[in-house]
This record gives sequence, C-alpha cells and structure tokens, in this order.
Amino acid sequence: MDVPTHSRDNADASRGAAGREGRSFLPRSAPAVRIDHSALRANVESLLLRTDGEWSVADLRHEARGHGLLVMRTLLALGVDGFLVDEAALDGLAEQFPEAALSAEGQPTLDPAEVFGLPGSAGIPVMRLTGSVLTVKDLRAGEGVSYGFTHRAPADTRIALVTGGYAQGIVRALGDRIAVRLGDAHHPVVGRVAMDVCVVDLGGADAVRGDEVVFFGGDPDDPSLAEWVAHTGLTAEELVTGVGLRVRRDHVR
Amino acid sequence: MTAELRVDLDALAENLAVIRNRVAPAEHMLVVKDDAYGHCLEEVVARAWAEGVRWFGAFDARTGRAVRGELGSEARVFIWIVATADEARHAVDDLDLDVGVGDPELLEDLATARGRARVHLKIDSGLHRNGVRPEQWPAFVARAAELEQAGAIEVVGIWSHIAEASDDEDDQARAAFDLAWEQAQQAGLRPSLRHLAASAAGFARPEFRYDLVRIGAFAYGIRPAGGPGEAEIGIRPVSTLAARVTRIADGIATIGVGSLDGLPSTLAGRLEVGTPAGPRQLRAIRAEESDVDVWTDAAMGDEVLVFGAGAPASATDAAELIGTIGEEIAVRVSPTVPRELRLRPIR
Repeated sequence: MDVPTHSRDNADASRGAAGREGRSFLPRSAPAVRIDHSALRANVESLLLRTDGEWSVADLRHEARGHGLLVMRTLLALGVDGFLVDEAALDGLAEQFPEAALSAEGQPTLDPAEVFGLPGSAGIPVMRLTGSVLTVKDLRAGEGVSYGFTHRAPADTRIALVTGGYAQGIVRALGDRIAVRLGDAHHPVVGRVAMDVCVVDLGGADAVRGDEVVFFGGDPDDPSLAEWVAHTGLTAEELVTGVGLRVRRDHVR
Repeated sequence: MTAELRVDLDALAENLAVIRNRVAPAEHMLVVKDDAYGHCLEEVVARAWAEGVRWFGAFDARTGRAVRGELGSEARVFIWIVATADEARHAVDDLDLDVGVGDPELLEDLATARGRARVHLKIDSGLHRNGVRPEQWPAFVARAAELEQAGAIEVVGIWSHIAEASDDEDDQARAAFDLAWEQAQQAGLRPSLRHLAASAAGFARPEFRYDLVRIGAFAYGIRPAGGPGEAEIGIRPVSTLAARVTRIADGIATIGVGSLDGLPSTLAGRLEVGTPAGPRQLRAIRAEESDVDVWTDAAMGDEVLVFGAGAPASATDAAELIGTIGEEIAVRVSPTVPRELRLRPIR
C-alpha cells in the first residue's frame, strides 16, 4: 500500500537539475521519471489565478497520479488549501504536513489533468519518462524482433535494447507504434514491448550503453504522451499513474 | 477505493507442484520479477522455497537483493539485466547472484568483480533482444574461456530466449542454441546448465526443457493468450482483484476500483465481473470507480470479483478482450492496491 513517507520504494530522491554527480542522467536497470516542479508550479499558479481566492483542493490520490507525494510540498507553498488523498495515506500525511487540510472524501477543485500537464489540458507536462540503452547490436534484413516477431527488419540496421516494458507501464500495445528520443532524433520502438525491456531501431544512428532514451516528456523535442493515448485508447491519467507508481521518481525543483 | 488483490499461496503451491512434475527431470526456475508479477515477492519466494524451489529468476540486482534478503545464501538467484559496471560488481560481490550475460561489455565488467562471477552466457537464437549473435559467439566464448582460466569468472550456464512465433522458428532457435552449446565446449568451457524455455514451450515441448525451465506466468496461474485453458494446462489463477459496492442507483452498482488502480479503462463494456448474483457486465471504468449492471438484492458493501480466481474472467480472459496478454493485466494492478495473502484452512 501507499506509504506517504516514500519508504516503500525509496522512489523520491531530490536532486539538482544536473544531478549531484555532475551528469544529467544515471543509467539504471529500470526506467525512471523526472518530476518537474517548475512545470507543476506554472500549472498550479495559472489555475489559482483563474479561481482567484476560492477554496482550492488538489487531487493527490494514487501518489499524486504517480507523480509522488513530494508534489504536496510545492502545492502547499503555492497556497493550495486542501488535498484529496488516499485513505491509507491520510494518517502519515497528517503527521508530515500538520498545516494541510487533508481528506479522503470529496471532489477536487483543481483539474488534475492541468495540474500535471496531461495532453488536452492547458498545462505543461510535469512527468518525463526515460530509460537507458543496455546493449546495441546488428539486425539483418528479414530478421524478426521480440515475441511473436511482429517486426521484421526491412534492411540491415542497428538496434538498441532499452530498459522499460509493460511492467513499468510502457503499455504492450505501444510496440511498433511509438518513437522514443535518443539524443536529438526520434527512433521507433520495434517488436512487442516485453515485460521489462523494449527494442529501438537506431537506423544509422550511434548509441552506447547508458545513453538516455526518452519515452515521453515536456521538453520541446520529447515524444508526447498524446501518442500513447492515441495508440492505447487508455486515458492520460491512467497512463502516467501506471508509470509513476512503478518507477523511481527524481524530483527537480 | 475498496479494491484489494487477493493472493492464494496454496494455489501457488499447487501450480508449483504441477510445474515441477511437468518439467522434471529439468528444474524449475521461478521467475519473480516485478514483485512476482504483482503477487508480492517476499511471500511468494518464501512459500516457493518451502515448496522446494531453489532457483529464482529476478531480472536485475534490485530484485535479486530482495530475493537474497528473504531467502539467504542458499537460493540460486539469476539476474539478466545489468545497466552499469558498478551494478555488475554489486551483483557479484555483495549479492552473490548468477548473472546472465548477453554482450561482451558486460562480460568484461563482471571479470572486474572482486569475487568470481558465476555467469550464464546468452546466445541470441533469433529473438534479437539480448544475447550475442551467432557469428560473434565463437569469439565471445573464447574470451569467456580466457577469463575463466584466469579465475575471473566461472561459466556455469548457456541460455537463450525463444520468440514463440511458430514451432518451426522455435526449432530453428533450438538448433542455434545447440550449436552455441557445442561451440562453448570447443572453446574449453564446461558449463553444467542449459536453459531455453519459459512457460509455454516448457510445458508443451519436452525437447526445450534442458536443465532449467524459467517459468513465471504458469506459476501464477496465467495461461497464454490464444492458447490452451488453465484447466487443460493443469494450473489455476493465484490472484483475484476484488472490490466492494459503494453506491447503487439507476440500475447501476458502483464499485470502488478504477483505472488508476490498474484496471484498464478499455475493458469497459467488454468484461463480465462476478457479483453475488452471478456474472454482470462492467459498463464504465472511471479513474477511481466503475459501474456494474445491478443485480437483485444488490447492497452496499457487496463484493464483486473483477478478474482472476473465482471471477468469470481470468487475467488472460480479460487480456484477450483488449488484445493483450494476462501478464500485462496482472502487473498493471497498481502497487497502491493492498495485497491480501490468503491461505485456505489446513486440510
């Protein structure tokens, strides 16, 4: 169950924008999300301006739609009045944030889609999902990739095995449908998404172990979560929640 | 939210016994990645150990550490995804894990561990994910033999993954696997373990079993989509997603489980759920709750079985309605949904 102090998965680690180690990206065996609190602030400030002075309630159930309960600190600082939280998280949060008005019942006044910058809202995306390159290898014309061989290489190419699969919320139906960002270019995910990994066609591009792969995010060249919505028929809310509850979260102020 | 995921550890034990008998004399490696497919890793590995399982497939060092922490030093814990050299050394020196190696860079990393790494070399037999391509395999095993001679590693296994696209292609993969085994011998390696098959091929095709069979899905009672039924395989679902009625109005009983709990919203209008009066259609799935066609005498607090053991649809039945597989339905159940571990009364 949800543990409000984040002790469950040690998921919420605060780091500077460039990371303490002086590099912006740390490769791991599993993907991670970056939670951008400046985007969160911009979204919520805009919402608060439009509802000037009214009692404001944010919906932070399901660990703030997978964004992590650390977002509560930022929302409190902006003057959000009340918070709708999971019943199981209520006691722990009340202890941690004695000044906050918490409830497990009721309706939010702040649209979660805009708070978290989901597609279709006026907000800026708060969550960015990245994986890393594990290995790079050749794929010859005619060779199939991953379970069921849904993809066959039309020509000789290079492929990267990348961390992240449907157990981390990268929905299986996205195989052969989406592109990810590697450096400045987008590359297609080929073959079925597996439980914990997927395969990316590099074409003529180069990549090495540890390179960052962006699945979706809010930077100008990042792939958009809107593509995921279009290809899965799932809602943006369930997609970000599905990802954020299962991966490490790095919070950027 | 009134949802909970019930996990029946006795059903797990029965499935483990079916698997053990089926794959013998090969041994069963129980795959426990992703919190034992969402079934609660600590409880699953403890019970599996009590039932005689000695090999655990843990994916990465993080999960490997959890298994080691639960079971201590005797369990054999196999991982096959390592992202950095530091992680490779951690897996060997701190956790004493067996590591699957599918590329030359990781082999060199493992050789830098203080301890002698137990490695399983992976041939790419056609799946083209992880694994060394056949044309690069002779050089790879030659280098592994050098490192073994130098005492840096011990090659204990050769392994691969198959695509299960067709029997014919799987046979080609098996031929590539057998050749890779021979070439490893020629390079001077003497590993004792071969493993190729997962659930489906491990059950259906004896020639794919070799020494170890890596099985996750069938242990949790998850049958293959589009394949034989649970009863035909001899397994049964281990978990059930259950929720309670929170509201009744206008011919609809609303239950406290929604898409943010991991119930895919695309199942709305497709899935039949189990109510006290029998199967009923799931009409709508919202973020926090869902609507079910009401039944006679429906009452607040009534329990509805959404999928899994005792429900009209198993995880795979639900998956087939939206074009996916039971494993995805199982692991999508949110970690925020409480797990309730159930043991039936002792017979």
